[in-house]
Amino acid sequence: MAPPAATPAPASAADSFTAGLVPRDAMPVPGEPALHWSSRVHSIPDIEIELARIWAIPKRTATIEGHEEHHIAARTSVMNLVVVARRQEIGEHAAAIIQQLTGRHPSRTMIITSADPEGRSWLDASVQAYCVLPRADAAETCAEQIYIRAGGAAGRHLGAIVAPLLVHDLPVTLWWPGEPPFESAVARDLLGMADRLVVDGSTWGGDGLARLREMSAAMDRDRLSVSDFALTRQSRWREAIASVFDLPEFTQFLPAIRRVAVTYGTHDETGAPGTTNVVKPVYHVAWLASRLGMSVVRPLVPVEGARPGARPAVRAAGRPGSGGPLHRGLAGQLKAAKSEVAVVVRPIVSPMPSGTTLRVEILADRRGSELRADVTAEAETVHVHVWLDGVEALDRSFLAPRRTEIDLLADSLEAGGPDPIARETIRMAARLTGS
Amino acid sequence: MHGPAMTTTKEPAASAAPPRDPAAAPAPEAPTTARPARDGPRTIRSLRLARLAKKRERKESKALVNPLREGLRLERMPDPFAFVLFGGTGDLAHRKVVPALYQLWRTNLLPHEFMLVAIGRRPYDDESFRAEIRTALDKYSRVLPVDEQVWAAFRERIVYQHGDFNDPAMYQALTTRLEGCDAEQGTRGNRLYYLATHASSFPDIVGELGRAGLDHEMHGGGWRRVVIEKPFGRDYDSAVRLNREVGKVFRESQVYRIDHYLGKETVRNLLVFRFGNGIFEPIWNRRYVDHVQITVAESIGIEGRGSFYEETGASRDFLQNHLMQLLSLVAMEPPASFDADALRDEKVKVIRAIAPMTPEQIGREVVRGQYGRGWVAAEEVPAYREEPDVDPESETETFVAARFEIDDWRWAGVPFYLRMGKRLPKRASEIAIQFRAVPHRLFTDAGADPEPNLLAMRIQPDEGILLRFGAKVPGLGIDVRAVNMDFTYGSAFNVDSPDAYETLILDALLGDASLFTRADEVEQAWSVVTPIIDAWADGPPAEFPDYEAGSWGPKAADELLARDGIRWRRI
Repeated sequence: MAPPAATPAPASAADSFTAGLVPRDAMPVPGEPALHWSSRVHSIPDIEIELARIWAIPKRTATIEGHEEHHIAARTSVMNLVVVARRQEIGEHAAAIIQQLTGRHPSRTMIITSADPEGRSWLDASVQAYCVLPRADAAETCAEQIYIRAGGAAGRHLGAIVAPLLVHDLPVTLWWPGEPPFESAVARDLLGMADRLVVDGSTWGGDGLARLREMSAAMDRDRLSVSDFALTRQSRWREAIASVFDLPEFTQFLPAIRRVAVTYGTHDETGAPGTTNVVKPVYHVAWLASRLGMSVVRPLVPVEGARPGARPAVRAAGRPGSGGPLHRGLAGQLKAAKSEVAVVVRPIVSPMPSGTTLRVEILADRRGSELRADVTAEAETVHVHVWLDGVEALDRSFLAPRRTEIDLLADSLEAGGPDPIARETIRMAARLTGS
Repeated sequence: MHGPAMTTTKEPAASAAPPRDPAAAPAPEAPTTARPARDGPRTIRSLRLARLAKKRERKESKALVNPLREGLRLERMPDPFAFVLFGGTGDLAHRKVVPALYQLWRTNLLPHEFMLVAIGRRPYDDESFRAEIRTALDKYSRVLPVDEQVWAAFRERIVYQHGDFNDPAMYQALTTRLEGCDAEQGTRGNRLYYLATHASSFPDIVGELGRAGLDHEMHGGGWRRVVIEKPFGRDYDSAVRLNREVGKVFRESQVYRIDHYLGKETVRNLLVFRFGNGIFEPIWNRRYVDHVQITVAESIGIEGRGSFYEETGASRDFLQNHLMQLLSLVAMEPPASFDADALRDEKVKVIRAIAPMTPEQIGREVVRGQYGRGWVAAEEVPAYREEPDVDPESETETFVAARFEIDDWRWAGVPFYLRMGKRLPKRASEIAIQFRAVPHRLFTDAGADPEPNLLAMRIQPDEGILLRFGAKVPGLGIDVRAVNMDFTYGSAFNVDSPDAYETLILDALLGDASLFTRADEVEQAWSVVTPIIDAWADGPPAEFPDYEAGSWGPKAADELLARDGIRWRRI
């Protein structure tokens, strides 16, 4: 696909920007990215020219005995990172996160925003390069960041803008903050050239499940690896749940699970289905089901009827189980090798962020013995309690510090190759919610 | 210049992706097997395939104990445990072991229910020992400054047990203390005994642990493991004796003999490089490799450890362990799996295949040296014999170089040159695989023959991998020049690598012995090195010092390679 013809963007104050090398007065501070180059252009060929110039012009590094010592900064890239930002502020937020990772995951980054879809075609690009000294004793690492705004027809053909600017032979990671329209032509173009998709399913509107199913379909259609922050955030929960079944006396209960219940927090006092994003609680069930080779007998559907005795305006919750919304959440049925497994995903009114998992309960029966595992979170700790035939058999705590978007993006970028666990979890989540 | 690409690739197509294990495959999507329809004709081949599939299925289901663990490797946290540190007041504990534990704690890789019980002869109490540890962390922690909040929680988990290593009463007190940890801190009977003491104390400590019953693993949990520092023995006989003493108390699966070189990131990467890439293994043999050079160069001297070094020397301190480990990792066959025993089986096979040397061969193919005065990094440094606690007539070697051959199908006829030295010009360790020259000179007009290809793996500093190949010099004629393709860890992964001790301690806590040395491995390595040490002891005194500090070792080391028409790589 040829790049769309583009005309200069509408004039703005930023057009008076000084182009080219940014002089640096002080020695670089380890860990702090410094702007090395900045210029502004209005067409794809001009972006390509600027990208070539960045690494051809020497930068002044020091003056020794009156002589200037020059060296050329070297680009280090381990991937192409494409960010699709629906609004400018989302793009700026993403840019700030990526700059923090320049030293850790140097990438050619393109942040694209489309605007004014019905207007004439235009393109406005800011080409920048950042250098960072990861440590005082390490070599400086530099990477490019291209901020592109595209209007009119150009904004509807983002794939045609991205394709010529990719560094060849390097993998392409597509980070799509917000709500990716997986079925749109723009998304299909971009997903088709990506190796990995990074999203945050917990920010999707409604219950997030329709988009989750679309993502699963896109993942299989485009053979994508997917990193969903919603899933990555739960790693300590998975560790805590897995740790229960490390113990030989409990491992044998794995094929005998007969009930999985996940409780999540909601701010909606009715707890009506579709009002709170439930991607995270559904991922818990999907991960367990996919790891244990379960299949879906009956997908999750809203439980009919209100909770007996529940009142709509209960708000005392801080602890799971203390609030009682009107609705009873979702229920479904899985099938393990030897038994059927009941699944419940239920809301509790809670001051915690909406959709946050508060408790995972697993119940298993084996040869007349009952195992109940209860995993809960409090502040930055995940607790595991296990009862065997009503007697407490295990009580453990895992530190689970909150992870920033920088940590989550770094995790996603570090993942590198295919992630079969995430892939199978997402597929199972889609099946579990009715795809 | 591009950095090395991350290896993200498109996921396999949904329809083409078989489940990783049968248990993880939902029934409706289960792949079809080679089994024909029940009423169809069954060929011998189909029966055999079905039998194999069943066998594989059985094997996989047996191997995967907890399917929820799959993919959680990096997130795994050890069970609750008590870390019993013998030699808690010593240099190794302060410089390496405790900073490694602190770092693991800081990065949330240790469970809440963890206690560090340090044992030493010095009369500290808990509080004064904690102050001592804080001073050590302020000096040796990998990440400074020490995080006050993290330290506040870490210090609460440190206690000190005063006593003598061969005093049975101390072990009774230790038992009481550990039972208290189980009851109050929930350490659940899991214990890691870390022997960071002088090697002469190892048999006493292990014996007393056994007599106090502290080695017994409990039914239904409560593991007991022992980590033993090097040197493990000072020759073949003493290593066998020590293994026997340890074996009387602990089972081999409970014993973790530490060689910190195996925990280094680049050394671990050697396994990934060899067995995670398909393109190198076909050329990793005598048909393509001319020779291998392994160098461990240190610019420092003996750093005040004169009495220790007088007892060991370069052969015991480096050749028997670090260099032999590097050699075995380079030369081993691909293991059947990445579990501890499969890996160590292959390493032992390599060391066993090293051709034994006669005293005459040792005289010809092993070189020892000792540094005299000289200049290193613009500073004048004393000769080894002038160092504190060193005999002025000392015969101890501070340099060793050797030419080994591995008598197996893969390596027959390929020399492996190993060298290690103190007070060399710089600190540098690397493994260099020198490939054979091209069989036929095609570019006859070129000014010089193309240099043979080289693959060098730098272990320290500037960890990375370099591949040298020939390229055409731009111009009208055909001139070939060697160019380097250089991968540096620093520019591809700008994250701090964990210290080797962090890696190894975490592995021991998780029960993964892959990077620890097994009893037969230690003995086999000693069986290669002991004849060399014996031959030197029986032979005439060496003419030491024979190399100047700041040089690349004695001339004889250069001659060792010159006889084969090659020279040491300039590092």
